[in-house]
Amino acid sequence: MNKSDKILVSILLTILIPILILLNFSSSSNLAIVYYENNEILKIDLKKAEQEYEVNGYNGIVKIKAGNGKIKVVEETSKNHICSKQGYIDKPYETIICLPNKIVIKIASDSEYDATL
Amino acid sequence: MKKIIIFILFLVLLTGCQENKYLEKNFFYMDTYINVKLYNVKNAERAFDKIDEIYKEYHELADRYHNYEDLKNVYYIKNNNDTTETIKLDSRLCNMIELGMEYNQKTNGKFNINMADILDVWASYRENKNGVPTINELKEAKNKIKPIIFKEKCEILNNHPSIDLGAIAKGYATEKVGEYLKSEKIDKFIINAGGNVLVGNHYNNAKYKIGLETPNQEKSIYKVLRLENKSVVTSGGYERFYTYNGENYHHIIDYETFYPANYFKSVTVIADDSGIADALSTSLFLLPIEEGKKLIKNTDVQVVWYINDNQIVATEGISKYE
Repeated sequence: MNKSDKILVSILLTILIPILILLNFSSSSNLAIVYYENNEILKIDLKKAEQEYEVNGYNGIVKIKAGNGKIKVVEETSKNHICSKQGYIDKPYETIICLPNKIVIKIASDSEYDATL
Repeated sequence: MKKIIIFILFLVLLTGCQENKYLEKNFFYMDTYINVKLYNVKNAERAFDKIDEIYKEYHELADRYHNYEDLKNVYYIKNNNDTTETIKLDSRLCNMIELGMEYNQKTNGKFNINMADILDVWASYRENKNGVPTINELKEAKNKIKPIIFKEKCEILNNHPSIDLGAIAKGYATEKVGEYLKSEKIDKFIINAGGNVLVGNHYNNAKYKIGLETPNQEKSIYKVLRLENKSVVTSGGYERFYTYNGENYHHIIDYETFYPANYFKSVTVIADDSGIADALSTSLFLLPIEEGKKLIKNTDVQVVWYINDNQIVATEGISKYE
């Protein structure tokens, strides 16, 4: 390897390594996605400060609080209120499921698990 | 020099290959959010339609609250006005009831699909959160129970028994979905039906990584399982419960005492068949650990018991999945 080769290689590496790192990290974005049945109805950037959102569930309005890296359901219409009692989620494999309202909230980064239970 | 550049390009290509394409769809049946992922399929619409159909069929068969035209489901069995002495069961329903009866025997009666009347008493307290049923109230409900009596193979006495398949139908239907996918040569899949997970072959010739969550609000992962072509089911009282006077009362009722079983926070079962895993996880939740160990002796079933004091006990064979 002569000198110009070395320069070329080092240029290539300095360009590529940050790109590779960026590619790997960009997948763990801080985004929450709210679904109604199979349809995405809301995307929330969790890096923002906490605020309230409202979406329409099967039984009526579902109130969501999200921001500062976490998200929770604060109010919904159902018998047992399982999803509003659940509290905050902040890990990529966690989900909030408001079954009577057919609302599902996921954190949209690649989980290291294929499934959790 | 060329070699180095090729090597670097190769690295870039490799990172591009990590992603595995899957198509997913959610279903809402049997009080459950069901997520199905199919890997490396081009067109999954037909498969998803069929999966929807299978879950819908089992949902309707196990539905205690609704009547469906031309379907003799558990609602029909309880509420029909027919004057016939017996009812010929739908073969799918028959198989689920037989599975339930089998585990009723294996648990010396603790696991019981014939106690919907008792579950209803608990459900009304859970909804109103206004106390705990008294033993007399529960015994009264028990005395109203009409037993399931088989007269012939898949033919029961029409004495209006109330049947609850909550501990069986989800897993049973999931197993049928798995069988359908394999018959269509769609063998790389993962199904998560609310605590019932069924995995096929792995998309990358590896194993599916399944995280077991602690049975509390925190939901951190306390154990990781690596599985292929297996079913894993968790039963626990940490999601569906109510609190009264500082005590938690969950939904898994022991037919011997009529009260929620209290040995464990959760029990996880790994087995080949998802229907059996479902029935087993509830059965083991109802049994003291030593009796549970006896129940699975000489089988390939592996179990993780998450005990009330947060101790974790697992069968020896679990190590092959870790």
